[in-house]
Amino acid sequence: MIAEMPRDEVAIQGGPLPEILLPTNCPGCGIALSLDELRAHNYVCTECGHHFRLGADVWVPLIADQGSWLERWTDVRSHDLLNWTVPKRYQQTVETLLEQGLNEAVRTGTCTLAKKPIWLAAFDFGFVGGTLSIVAGERLARGMEQAASTGTPYVLVSASGGARMQEGVLALMQLAKVNAAVGRLHDAGVPFFSVLTDPTFGGTAASLALLGDINIAEPGAAIGFTGPRVIKQATYADLPPGFQSAEFQLAHGQVDVVVPRTELRPLLAHLLEMYS
Amino acid sequence: MSVWEIVELARHPDRPYSLDYIRRLAPDFIELHGDRLAADDPALVGGVGTWHRRTTMFLGHQKGRSLKERVGRNWGMMHPEGYRKALRLAHHAAKFGFPIVSLIDTPGAYPGAGAEERGIAAAIAQAIMEWFRIPVPIVAAVIGEGGSGGALGMGVADRVIMLENSIYSVASPEAAASIVWRDNSRKVEAAEQLQLTSREIVGMGVVEEVVPEPKGSASADYDAAARALDDALYRHMKPLLDEPSSQLLQHRYDRFRYIDSLIRAEPHFGPKID
Repeated sequence: MIAEMPRDEVAIQGGPLPEILLPTNCPGCGIALSLDELRAHNYVCTECGHHFRLGADVWVPLIADQGSWLERWTDVRSHDLLNWTVPKRYQQTVETLLEQGLNEAVRTGTCTLAKKPIWLAAFDFGFVGGTLSIVAGERLARGMEQAASTGTPYVLVSASGGARMQEGVLALMQLAKVNAAVGRLHDAGVPFFSVLTDPTFGGTAASLALLGDINIAEPGAAIGFTGPRVIKQATYADLPPGFQSAEFQLAHGQVDVVVPRTELRPLLAHLLEMYS
Repeated sequence: MSVWEIVELARHPDRPYSLDYIRRLAPDFIELHGDRLAADDPALVGGVGTWHRRTTMFLGHQKGRSLKERVGRNWGMMHPEGYRKALRLAHHAAKFGFPIVSLIDTPGAYPGAGAEERGIAAAIAQAIMEWFRIPVPIVAAVIGEGGSGGALGMGVADRVIMLENSIYSVASPEAAASIVWRDNSRKVEAAEQLQLTSREIVGMGVVEEVVPEPKGSASADYDAAARALDDALYRHMKPLLDEPSSQLLQHRYDRFRYIDSLIRAEPHFGPKID
């Protein structure tokens, strides 16, 4: 059967992307950056292909058809469970981030992508390093349960340092909570497309991010369990260039494809077509 | 006792390790080796033994006693092959209807280049997901260190208990200090903040029971520590043996799905539910 919507007819972004703070020159090649040009190219340097890190507020309009996004569970809030005070009060960290307009390390909801309904979840690295917290785990698990029961494909975009230290062992338990829900998705035969962006580490890599039916990584994204600093500290090993890059993970059998962000949305649209 | 003293007790080189317990629980224990893919990870021991008149699958992190054995067992830090071996033995247990006892005692999964190259993140992820599908009763006990994803990879069970002087943490105090302060010498402060002692963990509703240790801690009397552990493990295992497997798996799902509910029940703690 011929796909209804050929890949080259799907726009590379669902709608206009918000502006993000950028350096004046590209950290990849040093070229002077033009904001408008970058926005049109999904924040990928047109010269060297450097992928700038994006927050959930950019990922949503990049993936979702314009006007289709229905965000869920936005008022689920983090609290300081452990009385974490040093080096900074956790409660204060969270409140400051909320005032800045960020809303936890994972945002989730439903939308359409090239007119096909999906569940979408995007990590926000700007919120305590995109760390998996009780709220993040709760939003992920609820969305996956609903996707499993409605048979709606699930798309995840991850960017995370791992589990959130300030929520202690309860943050660790989120790995089990979300993986149980991933199991439900798999049992229901619902496709799960996992997009890994820079960086995806620790408890997030060791839970849902690498359990996609198809794992898609962005070029150059650092993906792994233990960060390079800790590996060096623990083993005194010299790590080769490109260690834990998306390309390294492709060569080591952990991701299915590495695609530039400018080709991501058409790829997802095509996959949704093939797997529906 | 200070928090750091408990951390040191949990890591004490004289503390009984998994095999010390397993051989006392099931003197006929037969160790089974290998992941059937590439290797055998000595940081995780597994095998079958008769426990309360029933063939039981035992799994446990194993630290070494002598320096040579410590190196050989990689200080109880598993490689990806260890998680694959654990899953192989779990499926083996499921095939024959053997209940599973998992003993947790690890600083964490191995933080080395080789483990990364062979997919440690995916191995742990797969293990955590797969435990929810093993249709036989599983009881886990933290007997020393419950360190991070490396511990949770062996810790998805129907009941989880902790020995009194054991710890369970999102990261080792050293790693947490390194992440939060970029300075792993602030481990004592990190340990205090993390709330990793058995008393604190049971208070959060993450484990079902704290098992008291003999006077002078488990190191002082292996036999008494093993008797206390045996008694608690079996008390939790016994009711599970009669549960239909579909109900068992649903309860296991719910146990972790709502594991933060004790916190959520407090009006000022945890996420507000809409």
